Amino acid sequence: MLEVRSARKVFYRGQPDEKVALDNLNLTLATGEFGVVIGSNGAGKSSMLNAISGSLVLDSGKILINGADVTAMPVHKRAARLARVFQDPMRGTAASMTVAENMLLAELRAKSRTFRPGLNAVRLAEYRERLSVLGLGLENRLDTKVELLSGGQRQSLSLIMAVSDRPDVLLLDEHTAALDPRTADIVMQATIRTVSSLKLTTLMVTHNMQHAVDFGDRVIMLDAGKVKLEIAGEEKKNVTVVDLIGHFSVKTDRMLLAS
Amino acid sequence: MGFIETTLSSFVSLIPVTLAQSLILSFVVLGIMIPFRMLSFPDLTSEGAFPLGGSVCGVMLVAGASPVAAIAAAILAGFVAGCCTAFIHLRFRIHTLLAGILVMTMLYSVNLRIMGRSNLSVFGNPTVFDWVPGLQGGFPASKIVVAGIVVLAVFALLYFYFKTEKGTAMRAVGSNPDMAEAQGINVWAATIGGIGLAGAFSATGGALMVQSQGFADVNMGIGVLINGLAALMIGEAITGKQTVLRQLLAPFVGAIVYYQLVSLCLAAGMPPPDLKLATGLFVLTMLALPSLRRGRGPAAARETFRE
Repeated sequence: MLEVRSARKVFYRGQPDEKVALDNLNLTLATGEFGVVIGSNGAGKSSMLNAISGSLVLDSGKILINGADVTAMPVHKRAARLARVFQDPMRGTAASMTVAENMLLAELRAKSRTFRPGLNAVRLAEYRERLSVLGLGLENRLDTKVELLSGGQRQSLSLIMAVSDRPDVLLLDEHTAALDPRTADIVMQATIRTVSSLKLTTLMVTHNMQHAVDFGDRVIMLDAGKVKLEIAGEEKKNVTVVDLIGHFSVKTDRMLLAS
Repeated sequence: MGFIETTLSSFVSLIPVTLAQSLILSFVVLGIMIPFRMLSFPDLTSEGAFPLGGSVCGVMLVAGASPVAAIAAAILAGFVAGCCTAFIHLRFRIHTLLAGILVMTMLYSVNLRIMGRSNLSVFGNPTVFDWVPGLQGGFPASKIVVAGIVVLAVFALLYFYFKTEKGTAMRAVGSNPDMAEAQGINVWAATIGGIGLAGAFSATGGALMVQSQGFADVNMGIGVLINGLAALMIGEAITGKQTVLRQLLAPFVGAIVYYQLVSLCLAAGMPPPDLKLATGLFVLTMLALPSLRRGRGPAAARETFRE
């Protein structure tokens, strides 16, 4: 379970360009629930994800994962409980290291690292099996450096890395936004498959309204650092792209075109 | 006798001495490679850590400590110096190069304080080079044997380490600090530990050098950094850096080849004062080569180093 309690964050406090990024934001995601976060630019989506992952320190408020208060935990400690796929494929993987080494780093996310050799036959076989789920042939490229992979392959790898040790919370930060439509579709399908088969508590930020309509148990719309609207249950099943766009305070054609 | 014969004969006669020297200095090259390549942290501490190791070792020897204890103390001092550089960078967000310059400059005073004077003779004190059975201490052969064994041991240990879970995590910090942090790796600990390790190797080089040459000098560090960089570039040109094995071989191969080249230049009659200019020009050429090959226009972004 993920809880964000009255999270508040103000940038440039006391200056003319003071900006309230998170305005006493409250959000609860039940265990196994898949929440989709939408909102216009500057609504606080990234600030919220950064606050949950620990890279943004809150002015006030609390973050709880499965009931444990992680507000004061640095990023690397929280990583034992949550995994994140970034928008930029470059950010989520170590480019100068091999596919297998990246998988190893992900596997050890929640464990203490030892002086034993990292890669061994058992692990390599396991990685091969996990990567074969994607159907991209990555299972045969374990010794390839990640910098030689395409953006879509890197993002797919990031996804498999993120879910490899069943994190308590999975954060997806517009993780298909930087990919071409076909690749984005492959990565999205793989996401849905793994999230539903592992029943992961997932929070996905997206600008793609069609994704918000098609996927997830609940749509959460942010505006000015607050939750403006939540759609769940029956209502979520019947919602359309046009309905969603109707709720945006600032409407642009780009939203419709992007969907 | 012609020019070529005289050059060759004096070069050949110098090969053992140069080999001994290059094995000792390969630790400095290693102390430069680890921050640069494994941690993407351009570090200048070695210019101060090398004489620091020498000073500590010299003082310990004069005080009657065993040569191994003297080296151990030097390693510890170098480790602390490296940790300081990394900490200054991480805590105060000071550029890595500036952090290195600060520590290196401060170490000059520290080294003078440690020795109490600018030059300290350890002649006549026992050294690790006396311990080779069947060889007379002080001769190049014994230095080659001792330094060679240490080099092999360090190489094997590091190769094993960088393949372990901890070593892989440290390399990830160099490859992508954001990603490393998101994978639960403590970036501070890995950086401080890694730069400390590099400082320890530079200091090891200084300590072995002092035992080899019979004195410690506060100015012995001047130029080791640029020499080390030149050696590293040569090594990487020979071994490549695609795998951990190749990257780790580069400092040792580079040191051995580079110092033989220097010896060849000197044998050919190059005036010693010109050496640093020549070395600097060489490093510049190696660094400029990729952008020259691409032709005119701005240099494309190569690797991302931390700032």
